[in-house]
Amino acid sequence: MKLTQVFLPAVVLVLSTFTTQAQHVSDASLVAKGAKVYSENCGRCHNARPAEEYSKKEWSVVIPHMRAKAHLTGKEALAVEAFLDSTLTSDVRSEVKGGSLENKVQRSGADLVAQFGCQGCHKINGEGGALGPELSGIVARKGQEFVLKKLTNPKFNNAASAMPKFPMTAADKQAIIDYLSQ
Amino acid sequence: MKTNSISTAVASALLLSAAPFTFAQENSSLDIGRLAIAGYGDVSYIAQDNLKDDQGNAVQNNVQARFIPIFLFQMSEKIHIESEIEFSTGQDGETETELEYINMHYYLNDNTIITAGKFLLPFGQFSANIHPSWINKAASTPGIYGGHGGNGSLNGVTTVMNDTGINVSNTWNLGGAGRLFTDFYVVSGPRQEAGAHGGGVEFEAKKGDNNDSFAYGGRVAYAFLPEWEIGVSYYTGPYSNDGDLNYSAYNVDFNWNGTFASVRGEIFGSTAETEGEIEVNGEIDEFVKDFNKNGWYIQGAWQARQLGKAWLNPVELVLRYSDTSSDFDGSVIEEFDEDAGRMGSRVYYGVNYWLEPSAVLKFGAETTSLDNGVNSDDRLFLQLAFGF
Ligand code: HEC
Ligand code: HEC
Repeated sequence: MKLTQVFLPAVVLVLSTFTTQAQHVSDASLVAKGAKVYSENCGRCHNARPAEEYSKKEWSVVIPHMRAKAHLTGKEALAVEAFLDSTLTSDVRSEVKGGSLENKVQRSGADLVAQFGCQGCHKINGEGGALGPELSGIVARKGQEFVLKKLTNPKFNNAASAMPKFPMTAADKQAIIDYLSQ
Repeated sequence: MKTNSISTAVASALLLSAAPFTFAQENSSLDIGRLAIAGYGDVSYIAQDNLKDDQGNAVQNNVQARFIPIFLFQMSEKIHIESEIEFSTGQDGETETELEYINMHYYLNDNTIITAGKFLLPFGQFSANIHPSWINKAASTPGIYGGHGGNGSLNGVTTVMNDTGINVSNTWNLGGAGRLFTDFYVVSGPRQEAGAHGGGVEFEAKKGDNNDSFAYGGRVAYAFLPEWEIGVSYYTGPYSNDGDLNYSAYNVDFNWNGTFASVRGEIFGSTAETEGEIEVNGEIDEFVKDFNKNGWYIQGAWQARQLGKAWLNPVELVLRYSDTSSDFDGSVIEEFDEDAGRMGSRVYYGVNYWLEPSAVLKFGAETTSLDNGVNSDDRLFLQLAFGF
């Protein structure tokens, strides 16, 4: 018993020398990293839970719970949060109809695929995660219609889908389909 | 004494880490919440026509409902509180309540988490990570884990384990997909079961301890993300009231996750030192003997979505085999009979229909055959489980 009294503080002391400070930053590469961390970890114990199940505020409380369960580092947990948040960004969603994006330069399919972190969960040309199926040749195999539907509502053909409903415009979806058709 | 050293540890943990770190809250572009309510629930119908209780009476088919909310509080970026409470309908229709866990996570640094309070022991996989019904792909528990939803006629090696104490958890990035996960804990420890069980070992955390000694344990796991994780757990601590008899357990777990399938399994062994008396030539001899229980299970699940037929997308097939054994030979005390006699093997076949990522309708059939040949049971399950 005396041993523990000495031992635990000692462990803590040793560990604290390795500390790094948590940072809150959010950028596109963090989102892509988050998609990868999510894909590699969030389906290990249970079905991966899609972003739209909780609000951003709720995720900020749930993710630390899962950080502990999944043994994520603080940085990884933050990246997952950034990824989930990015798909819940309602300001992007509301721009879809209003046409306020019209003046903006349309991003290329490749850029969008990188920005939304599709390859966190899917292999494209051999590169990417395995939570979802490979996407190379998907348009040829299943048709434009199918991919468009999937991007609009991932649950349309699978109620248990982990794929997030991304905030994207019709033009974004077309650009992604064109990219995946190549 | 005991609480002393735990509080010393917690206090020093807080002290050591508070000073050098300040929070970067103001740079945050993420929305920070304070409270989230999650949890799970289930409704199960179990048909067990040939199940008998210890007195040989038929056990009725039953319908069972549980509601298990989880309360998560974010006190600050570094401190979280979580608690889980289980409400269930008991044998006689009354509501049973159980505090599953209440603990504080202290996020010491990027890869270290200190947990204090009552928590699920990081021992193996099922107990800590898989037992919630929306996660457990079967409607029953693997044969090696008794309790929690009823284990039919089979007696597990242990129950789902929670206890009060402190845990230090670490993640080491080995580069690429390799990770090392470690957990080490000190908890108040197992106790001697009261009543007719004689030398039975009990895990439920209670206020206070029966002996002035801790139990220690830990798990070290290697993960190769996202597919593989292999873990080794060990646990040891005195359980008898006088502190003389020891209980120890080990577990080896593995997990494999693919895009359409998963396989997981655990090997589990426990040793309880037991006292007994033997009469030799009219003289009573006392002895201490190890009483061992062992078991394992393996579970495979496959998602029919692989076939690419839309109507099969929500369907999942599950198969699980469990086996338990003990070295009970009647030489210890009679009361072990109940525990030791109920060892055997069990097969579970299941079809799951997923309604949501965390809501599932499970159909299951299970057959158990006990080594002693009696009291075997066949059970049919229909369960609706949901996580929220
Ligand atoms: C090591 C296993 C494990 C991993 C890996 C894991 N979870 Fe969980 N998750 C659980 C368990 C167990 C629960 C149920 C909580 C409970 O009953 O204590 C849960 C519950 C949840 C819940 C319900 C809300 C809650 O906090 O209870 C969400 C949402 C969730 N997990 C998301 C995730 C995400 C996102 C990831 C990836 C970062 C993840 N999980 C990784 C085991 C895991
Ligand atoms: C968080 C992980 C995740 C991300 C990120 C993700 N997906 Fe998915 N996706 C999945 C999963 C899991 C499935 C398979 C389950 C299902 O049917 O929904 C899937 C299925 C699909 C399918 C159907 C494939 C088939 O063969 O049925 C398409 C098409 C698809 N995703 C496209 C995309 C595109 C394009 C992106 C990026 C904009 C993307 N996904 C981002 C997880 C993800």
